[in-house]
Amino acid sequence: MSTAQQSYQLSDYLEKLPGTTFRKLYQQPSTAFAIFRRMLPPLAKIFVQALLYMPAPLLLSELDVWVRAEGKMHRDPRLSILRSLHIIQITPPGKDRPQEMQLTTNFKNSLRLALEGGGTHNSFGVPSTLPVDPRIDIAHLDNYARKKWEDILHYVVNSVPVHGEAGGGGSAGGPKSSVKDLLLVGHLVERRHDTRGGVGITQAGFTFLLQEANAQVWTLLLQWLEAADRAKGKSDSIDMLSFLFMLASLELGRAYNTDALTETRRNMLPALVDFGLIYIPREDTRQYFPTRLATTLTSSASALRSVSSGFSAATANNPGDASSLGTTPDTSAASKGSIFIETNYRLYAYTSSPLQIAVLALFTQLSMRFPGMVTGRLTRDSIRRAIGFGITADQIISYLASHAHEQMARAAAAAGRPVLPPTVVDQIRLWQLENERMRTSAGFLFKDFDSAEEYVSLSGYAEEIGVLVWRNDRKRMFYASKFEQLRDYLKSRKKAE
Amino acid sequence: MVKAVRGVLVECEPAIKSILVHIDSTHHNEFIIEDLDETHLFVKETMLHLLKQKLEERLKETYRPEEPLEDSE
Amino acid sequence: MPPKRKAPPGQATASKAGRASAMSTPGPATPRSIGSSAMSDADEDFDEDVSEAQKEREALMTKEADEFVSKFTLGSKRFQGQIDDSSREVRRYDAATPFFRKRDFSHLPLKPDHQNRPLWIDPDSCTIVLERFNPLAEQATDFLITIAEPKSRPTFLHEYALTPHSLYAAVSVGLRPRDIINTLERFLKTSLPDVVRRKIEDYTRSFGKVKLVLKHNSYFVESADAEVLQTLLKDKVIGGLRIQGSGGVTTSYAPTMGGLVIPGTQNAAGVHQANLNKAERMPGDAGDPSNEADLLTALNEEDDDDDKEAVHSFQISEDNVETVQKRCLDIGYPILEEYDFRNDDVNPNLEIDLRPNTQIRPYQEKSLSKMFGNGRAKSGIIVLPCGAGKTLVGITAACTIKKGVIVLCTSSMSVVQWRQEFLKWSNINPDDIAIFTAESKNKFSGSTGIIVTTYSMVTNSRERSHDSKKMMDFLRGREWGLMLLDEVHVVPAEMFRRVISSIKSHSKLGLTATLLREDDKISHLNFLIGPKLYEANWMELSQQGHIAKVQCAEVWCPMPTEFYDEYLRASARMKRTLYAMNPRKFQACQYLINYHEARGDKIIVFSDELYSLKQYALKLKKVFIYGGTSQAERMQVLENFQHNPEVNTLFLSKIGDTSLDLPEDLPHPDLVPLRLPPPRGPSAAFSARSAATTRASTPFYSLVSKDTQEMYYSSKRQAFLVDQGYAFKVITQLANIENTPDLAFATPQETRELLQRTLVDNERGAEDDVETDDLFGKPGRGRGGGGGARKGNGVRRTAGMLSELAGGQDMAYIEQNKAVNKALRAAGGKKKAGGGGEGQSKFFKGIQREKDKSKAQARAG
Repeated sequence: MSTAQQSYQLSDYLEKLPGTTFRKLYQQPSTAFAIFRRMLPPLAKIFVQALLYMPAPLLLSELDVWVRAEGKMHRDPRLSILRSLHIIQITPPGKDRPQEMQLTTNFKNSLRLALEGGGTHNSFGVPSTLPVDPRIDIAHLDNYARKKWEDILHYVVNSVPVHGEAGGGGSAGGPKSSVKDLLLVGHLVERRHDTRGGVGITQAGFTFLLQEANAQVWTLLLQWLEAADRAKGKSDSIDMLSFLFMLASLELGRAYNTDALTETRRNMLPALVDFGLIYIPREDTRQYFPTRLATTLTSSASALRSVSSGFSAATANNPGDASSLGTTPDTSAASKGSIFIETNYRLYAYTSSPLQIAVLALFTQLSMRFPGMVTGRLTRDSIRRAIGFGITADQIISYLASHAHEQMARAAAAAGRPVLPPTVVDQIRLWQLENERMRTSAGFLFKDFDSAEEYVSLSGYAEEIGVLVWRNDRKRMFYASKFEQLRDYLKSRKKAE
Repeated sequence: MVKAVRGVLVECEPAIKSILVHIDSTHHNEFIIEDLDETHLFVKETMLHLLKQKLEERLKETYRPEEPLEDSE
Repeated sequence: MPPKRKAPPGQATASKAGRASAMSTPGPATPRSIGSSAMSDADEDFDEDVSEAQKEREALMTKEADEFVSKFTLGSKRFQGQIDDSSREVRRYDAATPFFRKRDFSHLPLKPDHQNRPLWIDPDSCTIVLERFNPLAEQATDFLITIAEPKSRPTFLHEYALTPHSLYAAVSVGLRPRDIINTLERFLKTSLPDVVRRKIEDYTRSFGKVKLVLKHNSYFVESADAEVLQTLLKDKVIGGLRIQGSGGVTTSYAPTMGGLVIPGTQNAAGVHQANLNKAERMPGDAGDPSNEADLLTALNEEDDDDDKEAVHSFQISEDNVETVQKRCLDIGYPILEEYDFRNDDVNPNLEIDLRPNTQIRPYQEKSLSKMFGNGRAKSGIIVLPCGAGKTLVGITAACTIKKGVIVLCTSSMSVVQWRQEFLKWSNINPDDIAIFTAESKNKFSGSTGIIVTTYSMVTNSRERSHDSKKMMDFLRGREWGLMLLDEVHVVPAEMFRRVISSIKSHSKLGLTATLLREDDKISHLNFLIGPKLYEANWMELSQQGHIAKVQCAEVWCPMPTEFYDEYLRASARMKRTLYAMNPRKFQACQYLINYHEARGDKIIVFSDELYSLKQYALKLKKVFIYGGTSQAERMQVLENFQHNPEVNTLFLSKIGDTSLDLPEDLPHPDLVPLRLPPPRGPSAAFSARSAATTRASTPFYSLVSKDTQEMYYSSKRQAFLVDQGYAFKVITQLANIENTPDLAFATPQETRELLQRTLVDNERGAEDDVETDDLFGKPGRGRGGGGGARKGNGVRRTAGMLSELAGGQDMAYIEQNKAVNKALRAAGGKKKAGGGGEGQSKFFKGIQREKDKSKAQARAG
């Protein structure tokens, strides 16, 4: 689910790019390869593979030969994906000649290079020839990446208004200000006065927290690219995106040469360090190490699943916990399937991850914490507070449902009931409704009209220009959100008289 | 002469409106400029915050406050 | 046990300040302090008629008990301050810690096999969390219910709290601190924190160490701990009260269950031979590993050497019992009372046994095994939901002890019922069981027997009739083997004190559906009667089919604007009437009645608000019963409701909640929906019925007026049930309600008229409808002349009635048992003639006339 979501996000971004950008992007074999690997559904991959070494364009009609009858319905959507990513060109339909399709030149060349190797494009990074500190192993890099990423997540989750003594346990330090700015720009948090850090979580921020790590990384990176677009123009962001795809193709645990990078890319390094995507030893800045966050960026969906469990092992558990909980066999359970919600609104979550606990604290009044388990309760106040942050009842409900403990799911299935107690779901919604019982909007009340005609005319005009909010013909009053245009209209009407 | 009055339009269910009107009537009519209809009121912009607060207080009477979870104190 | 549900601050003050101010609190059945006038029988009122000296003594005792109770609380506080620094130091701190303040216990090391153990414990508050899905959950549950207070018992995880009172109860049913600690250790995922261990040791040090035993008709102070006994003897008060020349301290062996058989159990059925040699094994399903008795036995067997524990005792005189009890309480050794009835040669035995074929249920047996665990009768309280057969538990206890019994009830109706139940389940000679009420003052004929009476009959000291006086002398002059105290949660603590001080009994058993009460004297019950011996899990009983399954719903009824505007301006008293008379609620009620009548269901509607009760019933042409309904008319109405297929809906005032003796086939309104057609005896009819009932669940609606204080009271009352695992579904809209034929108050005109009439009727206040019954004091008496108290809405039971707990001015309970209804209908042909016959109340005749008329019209048309 989240994989699909993640692809959408990246594809949303890519689809907005013009053809020229793609041509530039596809100059890099690593990019062509990453797009091929990451962005294409299986059938589209088959098309690309078939076309890759074809000497001449293929007749569109011949494509049908490859596709089984039952797959026909998938053909066109796949082709349109390939076209939107500027991987294939299809000649326009005409009477004189049949439609043909072929790979775009840059994509074809780059993908061939990527698959065959060779060339001097350095698209897959230049390994460092310098001696490597033996202490920088994969465990070290995982640890480092986890710490960096958790700092970011904690910053988002902790940007919750301080509530009594509890909550808002700001972790010392936190991410760099550049990252914080990025979170602000991306509306994952917004400035607020009632929080310790001066920022508060947004609905997008909550959605962000509920994503899997890989999707979270892309969300942030895309924000970063868009910010770069706005600041420096497209050319930079193309190289940036290419660089990200290149990082994804690098080998975890290996050192690469910073000197071999373009200036744009070298400028990216500090931010990537802040995100935890690369590690640069303090003693030797001529080397950089991609972390798991970077190398899994474009892993295929199936690979990602195994990666993500390794990843969540790296991101979810503190080493301290991991040792004390050494007997807990399932690492994936740490991030999913851990929550019980009872009919009396008590909540029990089998977790020791501070991050997951902090997410729960967004809408739960937490009570006790045991090794591997926390208790709390959904209360009117805790839910209304969450709703105050812009979190919706449905988001909370779907979070609880998708993280429901397997025991709960099993009991519900056996009894033919929904996983979450219906009364709890209803109540969460009712609490949200309570928040919406009084809606307000600022504007102007127009009244004391001299004549019915004047009323009809002005209210009609207000309606026409879309500022009319409420009207009562009997009382000859109406309410509009704006004033100026109506004033002008009235003036001109008076003049005309 | 037509007038345009600046203020806030409040849209709510009749029960909430009743409460708001009642609050207004017990506070020297400081809040409401105009009673528009069953579900709409026109209120002073500067008083909106206070009005919301008073409403919340009233509604508090209609639900059970959570008991504190057993505390160690 | 701290009061579970706290009243909102304002209300708590109100109830303390006196009934007059409590009166103005609009909640219909708000749990609150019970004024002592709550308990007056018929023509008597016991409130002001107690001698000054007695009052003083009672006040003193209350104060002392209060102090003692508060000592417990203080004790726990002091202990919490002492949490050892060593454990503080190793506490972990991470980003999530602040969410828990001091309640982050993630530093506690898990045992390697923690997944096989079901419990966590919060060492500070002694809250225990239990995994219900753990393989050991059953055993752990049985254990926890013995040592801890249940707080939350929904589906997957339960919470219990170790409290001084719960530990007191545990010790008193025979658990030793060592047993508690070892078993906890076994079930805990982490090792038992030292602080908890010490807390248990500390609390239990003084609990249950000292017993008062009435043996060979002499009182002995007994303890297994010689040192404790020495401490008592050295005490300046107690030391002097020892009967000199009685040989000082004697040592003997502690009693064991030793072949005692509780009637009605499997043992009684003949398998007990096998168990006789296993001295400590209690009767029970020996094959069931989850049996808690077995678990405890197993624990005890680990220490074989201690099987026969030596006990030490000294004798005190009868006259000094109370003084010693008080003194022991004062110095922190609350006395447990135990009755070694098998060795009581002085009091004559009562010829009583359960009838053959009477089998008691497993949970009833479990509760009784707590009482008779060591072969003696321990005093205490058994908590069972209504409908779960509390009466049978009491009767079985009487059949076990086989000595004179005095039964105290809350009303004269329930007195009659108790006697009937005794006759039904036991083989007691009818001459041996007598009734003492305002109407009837009989004694039993033989040397011993059973007296059933009310609390107020025996506590009233004013103007007793000659007969009453003679009767009281009779009661006072005897030694009773067992005192059965019914519905202990509604009786004021002072009243218990008076009952207990005036009537001498060897053992006391309190019965109740809930220990929730708001007069903060609940703790006193622990010392006045004894600790809580057993508390059943409602959900579990319902899942096992012992009590009916219910489906609870709360229907939100918006108020029409005119009503709501009036409500906002109204006095607290009028608010109550207005939200009860909300026409939308009325419509919802009409809609639900129509719906369920059409399905052939029987419906009971409860309302605490008398005015609305009558208006509803009259407008909907339904029968109703309230305090003013005469006894004969009640029976008439009930008879028809039960058997007449034309009469399917009954409106009941709170009277129905308390003392109305509904025929057995009807659900008792007291916790109605949880009441099953009773288990009584193996009859084909019954099994068919119970099967039908266990499958279907009973709908239970609570109608509340939206955005009024009723919502608050409703959810407050529901809290107890919700923590028992019941879920209330909120219904905001009733489908197609507007299509209901003859929908009441459908036009704005009708709504306005209703409002006007409601206001006028209630402004006048000259209501002749007063809610009077045995249980409820006369309105306006002893209420401090408060302005708000006009009607009989003053005295309410604090808790325990589902209709109250579940909330709602108006509760509709639908008896959904079609099989029963069909049976009734079949029988109806015969009964109907009687139903329409003479002796009917005017009201009832009116209803019948209406019906006949409309039928005639229908036929004519």
